[in-house]
Amino acid sequence: MFSFQTILDNFPVLLSSARYTLLISVLGCFEGLVLGAVICAGALSSKLWLRRIAALYVSFFRGVPLLIQLLAAYYLLPVIGINVPALVAAVLTVGLCAAAYLSEVLRGSLNAIPKGQAEAAAAIGMAPRDVWVRILLPQALKIGLPAIVNELILLVKASSLVTVVGIVEITRMSQSIAAATYRPLEIYLAAAFIYLAINLVIAQAGRVLERRLTV
Amino acid sequence: MTIQHAAPAAAHLRNVNKFYGPFQALTNVTLDIPPGKVTCLIGPSGSGKSTLLRCINVLELYDSGEVRIDDQLIGYESPGGKHMAPRRLREMRREIGMVFQQFNLWPHMTALQNVAEGLERVRGLTRAQALTRAREALAKVGLADKENNHPSHLSGGQQQRVAIARAIAMEPRIMLFDEPTSALDPELVGEVLGVMKQLAAEGMTMVVVTHEMGFAAHVADRVVFMERGEIVATGSPREVFDAPSDPRLASFLQGYRERNSLDF
Repeated sequence: MFSFQTILDNFPVLLSSARYTLLISVLGCFEGLVLGAVICAGALSSKLWLRRIAALYVSFFRGVPLLIQLLAAYYLLPVIGINVPALVAAVLTVGLCAAAYLSEVLRGSLNAIPKGQAEAAAAIGMAPRDVWVRILLPQALKIGLPAIVNELILLVKASSLVTVVGIVEITRMSQSIAAATYRPLEIYLAAAFIYLAINLVIAQAGRVLERRLTV
Repeated sequence: MTIQHAAPAAAHLRNVNKFYGPFQALTNVTLDIPPGKVTCLIGPSGSGKSTLLRCINVLELYDSGEVRIDDQLIGYESPGGKHMAPRRLREMRREIGMVFQQFNLWPHMTALQNVAEGLERVRGLTRAQALTRAREALAKVGLADKENNHPSHLSGGQQQRVAIARAIAMEPRIMLFDEPTSALDPELVGEVLGVMKQLAAEGMTMVVVTHEMGFAAHVADRVVFMERGEIVATGSPREVFDAPSDPRLASFLQGYRERNSLDF
């Protein structure tokens, strides 16, 4: 017999564990975007060694499962003398991984901008910084927005993997409650609802932004 | 504040060579572009006209020779020396307006923003000053009523006029036009050529790569015919079009007349 009462009773606890999901997602997203832009700049650099490093970075963080990356960060870092709290290791690793994907999204978006756009800016004597900030990035953001929103949603869901390093976010918490109450169906449904709500907000924000960028 | 014409500049090319890998795009090009005059570059596609034009503002860096705006070398610190410092190159480019075949307007900005952007970021005007001067430039090309349109909501001819406004608002001393009407529907060519004729009448130094032989014949002070990266013939429109001395020029013009004869 399906019990709404179980959901109602446990929802506050479940919701409070969502702050770790949000923390990891938001910080990971921020780190991923900033670092992703840096990696992308490296990938588009005229210097071969920078392109090599960027390519190596992307192939590693995209080619190894996030789960392994998390375990590696958690178990390996102390071995080489770096002791960080599990939460810090988790946020860093999730962000490093997201950066690999986002750098490729940005690279593709920038490549889609016709060469004449930057040329027209260079021809009137615009400085490279202004060319990037005023001409290229706004257009790249618009082109890449659907793919970036995709990445951010994947990031929220991937944050459930950080349970392996002992962080009790939504997924881990729902496992515990389900085991204690013998009500897995209700609890996992409630957890699914929270993930869905977070991702609907992201998707909606993406749609609003996309409309504002469209002319 | 009105749009002034800064004193028109001359451009001088001396033995300019440009290679793309093993392909030589320009061979020993020597050309004087007189101030305040219209110089039209004609020739078959792939003959190096656009490359020559793009060497004048160093969107393409020539490999050897000299390009000067008035007497200032552009592209290199000294003949055959180091590449010019980027900041110095940007300063020189402010004096050189360029209009592209594909307009290259920035699609995320309105017509007004497209024109004002360089005034604010490059010329260092305040926002208010930049907008005032941008409106004057748009009025000059007959688009005062379109300032809030994005490029996607303008016809090709209107887009190219905005692009001309963007260039002249910077008060350049020389203007480069790279096939400015080649991407336009035939019925929109006239409005762009009209604006260009007006600029020519005001004494702007203009270098125009064009397939519009009518424009070259009626507006140019000098016509330069190029083929395979070399200047083959130069002269007044009358000399070039009415009495072509070079057989390659004669055959180029013959081909053009055949394609454009009213022989349906």
